[in-house]
Amino acid sequence: MAEETNYEIFEVDQHITAHSRYFAGKMGSLFYRTLRDEKKIMGVNCKKCNKVFWPPRSTCGRCFSQLAESDMVEIGPQGTLETFTLITYSEPVHPRTAPFIYGIIKLDGADTGMAHIIDEVDFDDLSIGMRMEPVFEEERKGTILDIRHFKPVS
Amino acid sequence: MGSDVHEEELISIPITVDVPYRFAAGKYLGKFLVELRDNGTFYGIRCPVCKRVQMPPRIVCAQCHVKNTEWVKLGNEGTLVGFTIMYIPLTDPTTGKPHDPPFTYGSVKLDGSDSVLDHLVNIEPDVSKIWVGMRMRVVLRPKGERIGDLSDILYFEPLEGQVQPE
Amino acid sequence: MKRNVAIVGGGQTYHAARRHDVNQVEMVNEAVRRALDDAEMTIDEMDAVLLGNMEFFEGTHMTDCWMVDGSGVYGRSGLKITTGGTVGATIVCAGAHHVASGLFDRVLCIGFEKQEEGDTGAILSGVAHPLYGRSMAGAAVGYFAMMGTSYMATWGATEEHSAMVAVKARQNARKNEYAHLKLDISVQDVLNSRMLAYPIRILDMCPASNGACAMILADEKTARDRSKKPVWIRAMDTAHNEQFELDWRDVTTKRKIFSRVCAERIYKKLGVKDPAEYFDVFEIYEPATWSELVWYEDLGLCRPGEGFRLVEEGKTGIDGSIPVNPSGGVLSTNCIGASAMLRVWEAALQIRGDAGGHQVPRDVRRALSTAYGGTNWTVMIALSADRDD
Repeated sequence: MAEETNYEIFEVDQHITAHSRYFAGKMGSLFYRTLRDEKKIMGVNCKKCNKVFWPPRSTCGRCFSQLAESDMVEIGPQGTLETFTLITYSEPVHPRTAPFIYGIIKLDGADTGMAHIIDEVDFDDLSIGMRMEPVFEEERKGTILDIRHFKPVS
Repeated sequence: MGSDVHEEELISIPITVDVPYRFAAGKYLGKFLVELRDNGTFYGIRCPVCKRVQMPPRIVCAQCHVKNTEWVKLGNEGTLVGFTIMYIPLTDPTTGKPHDPPFTYGSVKLDGSDSVLDHLVNIEPDVSKIWVGMRMRVVLRPKGERIGDLSDILYFEPLEGQVQPE
Repeated sequence: MKRNVAIVGGGQTYHAARRHDVNQVEMVNEAVRRALDDAEMTIDEMDAVLLGNMEFFEGTHMTDCWMVDGSGVYGRSGLKITTGGTVGATIVCAGAHHVASGLFDRVLCIGFEKQEEGDTGAILSGVAHPLYGRSMAGAAVGYFAMMGTSYMATWGATEEHSAMVAVKARQNARKNEYAHLKLDISVQDVLNSRMLAYPIRILDMCPASNGACAMILADEKTARDRSKKPVWIRAMDTAHNEQFELDWRDVTTKRKIFSRVCAERIYKKLGVKDPAEYFDVFEIYEPATWSELVWYEDLGLCRPGEGFRLVEEGKTGIDGSIPVNPSGGVLSTNCIGASAMLRVWEAALQIRGDAGGHQVPRDVRRALSTAYGGTNWTVMIALSADRDD
């Protein structure tokens, strides 16, 4: 076309900053209060499926049973390492600066695992099936990072 | 409330998500913004079928499904087609800067355009002093301060000496 | 291939400013369980689960993935839809398409919003075009305010008429156990309330609610076998506004804007000549009072410029000749992702005669629901007690 104009490239950098606040619900609140105040980790038992889930939830996804706070059971504190990896890049949302180890630990008594940070061990010394235990923060706020990380049971 | 307030404590967790973006304006909107930034000029584009002059310029006329090709230079004056007086602050989300109330906010159809443009109106925030049909001019930031955005417009300003018709 | 689709059950939460006692999925699950109970069905009978909300209003993406346990979609077909304020109705349309296609017999549709958890101001600014308007995006109330000044200047309505709509809505809400703003207010109370953007006062605007709505759509055989009072979806239509065009706030605009186009098309589908006579009740999506007056006209309930006379004469009251929003409407409950679905569900309740305290005192056989969302879409759904009517 004869009138092909030279269009300047025009790009703009912007941000969207959103402040959210997530409510845990009654079961979730009980989980976090117990974690914060008693250093105990809780899962929830579905009687029909005979499974203990972490994280605790009000509905069993498999059978749709309603689960109550009275169905919550203590799990762990120790567990078995199911899988792990080494994170070598940093993102703003990460809880630690790279490099750090991230893994899934199936706590004793639970049928599903918990993803968390693994520390106090070299990556090369880790293996699937190792026994792990949580290390709690001194000052806890009622978040999953009240567990600072998991480490191998000595 | 029972004596054991602790039992009823409901936990919530605050998290801030900050996401950076880089947006490309594309050809037509880019040209519009570049003309605004560099020359203080507003452009529309005319559809060959319905003849509507559309602002901002866009490649396709949504009504006719044909390519718009005729760029139209618009005036810097126009007619007020709607207004309100804001009593709540208006914060520019891209800068975080608030505009404190009360202030007048209006919609102006620039001469030659079929689309309207919203912006602040530099007039006393008094409903008796403003009316639909008022003639307005666009007041821009000085050239060095313009970035190619609608915030390059400072405000609309009424032309002098107008009297409300009745 | 097209099959008939009926609403065979539904449920909603008790909508509120704060629901600290539940997380997002638990709130959705309340509506889901109520819908299943109402339909007397189990989750295992659902062939698909469709979920909708306003994108990122809860500070979480992919809410359908995060809610698999509580929405009941685990092991089933499902998808998520976000279309802004219309999403509740769009989900119903999508659900109806699933059933009408013959590929699914029973579909669970869910709309929700737990607005307190997200940063709606920041996210709403993300709706504005980043390079053309986002810097001015804080003036959303101003858009409806401009509609108000345009309406008053063109037709001679006053701020009192806006207040009448606000009063009608909240007084109706007092009869609706699930509504959020059950306010015993008068026109004077509205006129005394704080001005946000002239002429809109705080009592002229909708609230931000936390709530969910769920509905079960089914094929004809299921409806006949299982439902005592199926409500038939007779027609649906969706229309968008042209991007960047803001003239919808100018009541004198001659352009065929989204609300008028959609009404015309859906009336044509059904052969409606006089909508006020054809439909027995209307549930329309009115984010602000002025929108309701303009909706009356765009829906053809009266001539242009006469909308405010309808409310002035009480015609659109719960016992009027053209009842509009007996539920209290969006002005009384606005959990955005659910709001449009609530219009459909409330219309269905009216047809079933199950609206309780806010049931309109007349025989309801046909109802029309509308939805509205920025950047100006509308979805309209026509319901009937009779499959063929």
